[in-house]
Parts: sequence; C-alpha cells; structure tokens
Amino acid sequence: MSEEKISRRGMIKKPVYINRRLVRYYWDRLKKNKLSLAGLGFIVFLALLGIFGPFLAADPQHVDFDIKNLPPLGFSTQESIYDIKTNTFATTVNPGRPDHPLGTDSKGRDMLSMLISGSRISLLVGLLATGIALFLGTFLGVLSAYLGGWADNLLMRFTDVMMTFPFFLLLVLIVFIFGPSLTIIVIVIGLTGWTGAARLIRSEALSLRTRDFITASKALGASDNRIIFNHLIPNVASLIIVMATLSIPGVIMAEAALSFIGMGDPMSTSWGTILNTGQHSLDTAWWVAVEPGIMLFLTVLSFNFFGDGLRDAFDPKASV
Amino acid sequence: MRNYIIKRLIYSIIIAWGILTITFILLRVGPTSPVDRYILNIAARGQDVESVKQAIEARYGLNKPITEQYFSYMANLLQGNWGWSFSASMPVLELIGSHWIYSFQLILLATIFAIILGVGLGMLAAVKQNTKFDYAASIFSFIGISIPGFWLGLMLILVFAVYLGVFKTYYDTNYPIWSLENLKQLILPVMALGIGELAGYVRYTRSAMLDNLRKEFVTTARAKGLPERTVIGKHVLRNAILPLVTIIMFDLGSVVFGGAYLTEIVFGIPGLGQVSFNAIFANDYAVVVAVTLIGTFLVLFINLATDLLYTYLDPRIRYE
Amino acid sequence: MAAKTILEVKDLKTWFYTRRGIVKAVNGVSFTLDEGECLCLVGESGCGKSVTALSILRLFDSPPGKIVEGKVLYEGLDLTTCAMPLLRSIRGKDIAMVFQNAQSALNPVFTIGDQIEEQINTHMPHHDRNSRQKATALLEEMKIPEAAEALKMYPHQMSGGMKQRAMIAMGLSCDPRILIADEPTTAVDVTIRAQIIYILQELKARRNMSIIFITHDLSLVREIGDRAAVVYAGKVVEIAPVEHILNKPAHPYTIGLISCLPDISADLKRLPSIPGNTPNPIDIPSGCPFHPRCPSVMDICRTVEPEMLNISGVQIAACHLYDANVTGKR
Repeated sequence: MSEEKISRRGMIKKPVYINRRLVRYYWDRLKKNKLSLAGLGFIVFLALLGIFGPFLAADPQHVDFDIKNLPPLGFSTQESIYDIKTNTFATTVNPGRPDHPLGTDSKGRDMLSMLISGSRISLLVGLLATGIALFLGTFLGVLSAYLGGWADNLLMRFTDVMMTFPFFLLLVLIVFIFGPSLTIIVIVIGLTGWTGAARLIRSEALSLRTRDFITASKALGASDNRIIFNHLIPNVASLIIVMATLSIPGVIMAEAALSFIGMGDPMSTSWGTILNTGQHSLDTAWWVAVEPGIMLFLTVLSFNFFGDGLRDAFDPKASV
Repeated sequence: MRNYIIKRLIYSIIIAWGILTITFILLRVGPTSPVDRYILNIAARGQDVESVKQAIEARYGLNKPITEQYFSYMANLLQGNWGWSFSASMPVLELIGSHWIYSFQLILLATIFAIILGVGLGMLAAVKQNTKFDYAASIFSFIGISIPGFWLGLMLILVFAVYLGVFKTYYDTNYPIWSLENLKQLILPVMALGIGELAGYVRYTRSAMLDNLRKEFVTTARAKGLPERTVIGKHVLRNAILPLVTIIMFDLGSVVFGGAYLTEIVFGIPGLGQVSFNAIFANDYAVVVAVTLIGTFLVLFINLATDLLYTYLDPRIRYE
Repeated sequence: MAAKTILEVKDLKTWFYTRRGIVKAVNGVSFTLDEGECLCLVGESGCGKSVTALSILRLFDSPPGKIVEGKVLYEGLDLTTCAMPLLRSIRGKDIAMVFQNAQSALNPVFTIGDQIEEQINTHMPHHDRNSRQKATALLEEMKIPEAAEALKMYPHQMSGGMKQRAMIAMGLSCDPRILIADEPTTAVDVTIRAQIIYILQELKARRNMSIIFITHDLSLVREIGDRAAVVYAGKVVEIAPVEHILNKPAHPYTIGLISCLPDISADLKRLPSIPGNTPNPIDIPSGCPFHPRCPSVMDICRTVEPEMLNISGVQIAACHLYDANVTGKR
C-alpha cells in the first residue's frame, strides 16, 4: 500500500511502476547481440542528426547553379569543352570542395544539408506513422479479442479488406487526391498500416485470455477494463515494442518510395526526394543517387538489427 | 471442401466489391476531372474549352450524380465492360491487355529466381548451422531485406548500364517478349525486384528448417537408416515448407502491389504499374479501378490457392 | 548362459559440449546383450539411459554431442567408429529403435504406410512390390484392426495406442535382430501399455529377437526383462538378472529404487523416496556419483570411483561396500 496513493476521489491510484530489474535484465540480454547494439548506435546517431543537424547545416533547399554537380570530397569530375579557336578539347577537372563535403546535386544544393534534413523527415515519418498504426492496431486487436462474437468477426473482416487493399497504390491515390504533404503521408501510412498489428495482437490476446492468470483475476471479480489494461496490454507490450521497431523501416521505405516517384512533400527534403533528382543524373553525378540510398539502407538495416535483437531479448526461449 | 471454396469465392467477391467502391469514391470525389488532361489539347488549339468539356462529360455520363455514375459503372462492369480510358483513348480492357505481359514476366521471373535461390540457400544455411556459410547467408539476408528495391535498381543501372555498359539503361519494348534480348534486359529488373524477396526467403527457410531439424521425427528417420539427403530433403523440408508457403504467397501479394510497380518505374518497363500511376496522375478513374480490381482479385486468388495448397501439403488441416 | 552375445557396449562416454559446460550424459556405460534376451535399462529421468540408446546408433545431435570414449560392438563391428554408410545399413535393418512418444516421433505429413514402406524399400530394394503387403502384415501382427486401411492414415488420425503400435511395426519392418525400445509405454494409458508389453513378449519369443527396453518403471521390468542394468548419473551401477535386482538388490541406489516401489500390504503414511536430487550432469560428484545421497556412505566413496564388482556370478555392482579390500570383510 505504501506505493499506492489515494487520489482525491478516494480511489486507489497506482503510480506508473517500471520494474528496473526487468529492464536491466532485458538490457543485459540485448547487450550480448553486438549487431543489435550497432543498430541502436546508428539510430541514436541519426536521431541526434535529425534533431540538431538542421540548425547547424546550410539550407537544404538553397539552389546555386554555379556549383552544380560538385563531387564529394576526395572525388573529382572531368569536363571536356570543345574549344573552337584552338580546335581542341579543353579538359577541366572539378575536385570536391571542403565546403560541400558530400558534393552538390544538379541544382547546386548541398548534399550534406539535404541528407541531414532527410534523416529528420525519415525518422519523423517513421515514428509518427508507426505510432498511429500501432495504437490503432493494438486498440482494435485487443478490442476484437476481448469482445469476441460478431464484433470480432466484423472487425476482422474489415481488417481482411484493408489487408487485401493494394497498399502502395492506395497511398499514391490518396496523396494524389489530398495533395502531397508530410501530414497526409503520415496519416495515410498510419491509417493503412495497422492491419498486421491488429491481427497479431488479437491472436496474442486471445491466447492470453484463456490463460490461468486471467481466469484467476476474473474469478476475483476484476473488471473488463482492469483486465485489459492491467493484464492484457502489459503482456503484449514487448510484442508491441518489437513490432514497432520492425515496422518503422517499412514506413521509412514507403515514404522514400513515395518521394522517389515525385509524390513527396515539395516543401521538405527527404531522402526519397534526393533520389528522385539523382535518378536523372546517374551519368553526370552518381553521388546524388548513391548517398541518400546508403543512408536509407543503413537506417533500415539498423532498425532491423535492433528489432531482431530486441525480439531475442524479450523471448524467454531464445538463447542470447 | 467444395462448400468451403464456394464460401471463399463469395467472400472474395465481397472484399473486391468493397475495395472497388472505396477506390471509385476516392477517385470521383477528387478535385480533378478525368477529361482535364484530354481537353488540354483542345485548349491548345484555341477551341472553346468549357463547351467541349461539357459535351464530353455528357457523353460519358460524368455530369450525372456520383451514385448514378457508380451504379452505371457497376452495371457495365458486370456486363464485362471495363470502361474507357481517357488518357490512352482506348477501352480499359484493351489498355490492360497490351501492358499486363510486361508486369507478368517481371513478377514471374523474379519470383522464380527468389524462391529457387532463397529456399536453396536457406536450406544449406540451416544444415550448416553456425558455420561460416551460415553467417554469410545470415548477413546477406539482413542486407537484402534492408536494401530498398528501387534504390538497388538505380545502383544496378549505375554500375552495369552507365559505367560498365553491359546493359541498356532503359527497357526496350521493341524486342519480342520471347526473345533472348528481352530476357537479357530483364536481368537487372529481376535482380532489383527479386533480391529483397530472396533475402527474406533465406531467412524464413533457414528458421523453418531449423525448427524441424530438431524434431523427433528426424531422429526416427535417421534411425530407420535413411540417407541424409532423404532425411533433409523429404522429412524435414516437407514440414518446413508449410510455414514457407504462407510467407511466400503473402509476399507475392506485396510484390505484385509494391515492389513491381517501383521496379517498373525505375527501369521504364511499361507494365500495369506504370499504367496505373499514369492513370492516377491523369485521374483516369476507370483504369485505376480496373487495375486495383485485377490486383485485388490476384491477391484473393493467391490467398485461396495458399489455403488449398495447404490442405494438400498438411494432412492435419481440413476446411469445412 | 550359453546364448551368443550380440551387442557389447564397453565403457561408453557420450558428452555434450554446451555453452554452460560439458554435459556428461553418458559417462562410462558398459553392458552386454545376448541373442534373444531382453535387457532393461532402468533409471530416473535424466540419468542418461535414453542417450545411451541413441549413442548405440549414433543418433544424438552432433554437435554438440560426441562419443569421447568407448565402443559399441555389434557382432564385433564397432558402431562408434564405422563409416556412415555402413552404420546406415545397420540402422533400422539390424538394430531398430522405437521411441517414447509416437505422436512426435512419426512424421505428421506422411501416411503410416509411407513411413513403414520407406524403411522396407531402403533396406530391401528388391522387395519393392511386396512392401505394402509386408506393411499390412506387420500392422496385423501388431493387432491393429483393418490394417490395410490404417496404412492410409496419417498419424493424427490414429489413437495414441495405435500410433505406438504402428511405431513398433515400423521398427520391426526389416526384421531387426535388436530392437531398442525407449520408454515405449510412457505416453500411453494402462490398457494399451499391457497390450504393448504383451506384443513385445510375444515378439521376443517368436522371433528370437534381442530387446533393449528402457524404462523408469520397475513393475515393467518384472514383466518383460531377463536382465536389468541400473543407470545412475550416466553410469551403470548394477547389472543382474531381474529377480536379483528386484529381490536382493546390491547397490544402495538400487535398494533405494526398490524400496520406493509402493507396497499395497504395507501401511505407510508417506511414500518412501531417495533423499536428494539426481546430480547435475555438468557437475557430477567426485568418487561414487551416488555418495551424496547414499545411506551407507564411507570416506572412500567421496574420492575413489568404485569399479564393477562381481557379487554373485550373475550380479555385478559398482559399490565399495562389496570390495573386500575396502571393508576388510569376506
């Protein structure tokens, strides 16, 4: 009782209680997976870059045609110009410049600044859309499992329809209709991406529902709310965390793909937008297509490594 | 069994109808009209835009209330009339008929490539668990899963087409479908589309094989004096294939809808993906609805096929 | 006995190299098996009797398992070192195994017929056409009704007892000379158990087949066994004819096991049990592995491992109590 406070309405209020020892145990298990730690490290780096980078970097949208297609530092491009007077080819060598360490694109925009801006967009879209999707998925999954009967049936049939819907086509369609903005993209991915989570959480909750400790608390007269929030949700929490980590890369890729086909938010620079530019200058400025792709790849890889390690850390049967 | 199939077919039709309706509504409440693109030409010739637009809209019934349009579209569809494409100026069915083969060949080849190599590598990795080969396969599959397919496509073009000049940078429709040249120019797209799938299959096959390699019936099979190739290739694989079928079939759906579209855009393959994107941008609703519908039916068909295949593969499962 | 020795296991050690240490599952098992004899391997769960059975045909997972020492001589051929193809031709043909849990030991996606015929076809290729007839005959021998129909069934369509009998039929399909039965009655109920024991007794008599019967149930030993080997912590601690084991056990562990058998006539408040737990196979006690639980423990037991001592010609036990040099008696 000492840890519980009596609220003004006279109800027992439980403080948010985090089992430090359990967190410690999971962290110790996670630590053994070096790839997972490396993934986490890169995600943290990316987050810092996304939060603070844009204040330090130059304007990613600044166009300067004088310095277009500058190669990254350490590389150089050759340009041959036919000189009519001397009837020869004059070859000029353009080396990379320290003020644009990763080069510039075909409009002279600084690659480094654009990549930093892109990391902010990718993480933002990834986290927000996954958040919406998982919230919806968990809510509908637990609800469906708990209600059972026709409500469960209806919800699951609706999930079937959503799952069968050509996801990417729907995305393009809605973004085309409502106009390309980050908000729309986040909402659409969030509103369409909950199906897998709902199904998984539902089946997990269903199997939990028949377990003895739930039966026990029912026998003790616990209310539905109490069972859902005190027993079901905490028991699927690790599942949700793992699912979040593993669905973020899919969202990031979807946003990148959308921007890549020219349906990204024109007001912001994401990795997909840069790739779109780079696609058309593969022969003159390869780095414009290579650099954002590497960032995208490393981000997705990091989330996959980290999520995989998390799953093993949470799985009591897995040996780490 | 027959009742089950009939039930599933009816169910599929209902889902397809739901998706059709959502797509139709999304498109027809959109801000642009299907004739906008069409009348640009007329405007350029200096004719009176508004009267022409009204004439066309009247001719195709676009000025009627949306519900009436919807019902007449449905009535037409049931009679096998898929509507008229404004942007391509031909019946939708004809448009699809002349483009589907490009998507089909790409998806078919990529799937075959991914399944054969992926399942093969996954089996090898499981049998050689914890060897160098296993680790290499594991790293490869992580990389393959994390690499965005459309970026991989760009990189393949950059290296093999732009720098090495082994392949053309764009898909050439002049080659007949069954020619060797066509097969050659499909190598890069198939790799771009297939490697992600392949990597996933390696991972799933490996874990499904490992799950079953430790089962008791494997010891029984060995105790019977069966050669190792029968033990692995028959007793283990036949059980490991069960979860794989679900995953591969599910994946096929996402390939049809996601990866293949993007691959078509990167390589300029004039398949249904490009057709539908162009149609979205032109607000050519009949085409979009038709393509969505075909894709949906394909996925529903794949789902049904999976279930039926499952009853064949797993004698424990019987549908009522 | 005049019967010919068919299988000899000599000081067998099968260790598993795991991350937590070396699991000495089998740590020096020796016994012989005569033609037409039924030898029971008795012991608590985790004592290494199943791994012993698996080691005879090298069926344990390797890695992590490895036979570090010892021999398994089948008609003079060492099965622990012979080439794999040769061993494979012996598995299922000369020496067959029946597992504890037919539910998981049968492959769920093939019919019983497939699984039996597969074995026949592997070892007797020219019998191809007869394999179905042979499988039917085997199931009939196992007293499975409508054998021809049963062949077309999948394991999940059969009852537990039917599965176990089908499993035995599979073991017998190539007329093996030795049948290793690893707790074949644990997973079935009492009536089926009686049936299976009856079938095994009949088979032994009719086919002059040798049986290694692994069990933790001493009442079964009485019914089926000719001789019994008591296994403790990966070692055989006593071998003797069944009557000796049951009526005048020598090793303190065997004595403990026998006294744990419930006796209807005795009026007991509590069931007797051996104090303490079976040793952790990673960390086996020094000296005699049973010494921490032994009621008649001596100083020497803690340091010196006892050898197998001949007690009464047919009875052999590994205990210092019977060593004249130690006790100074006899």
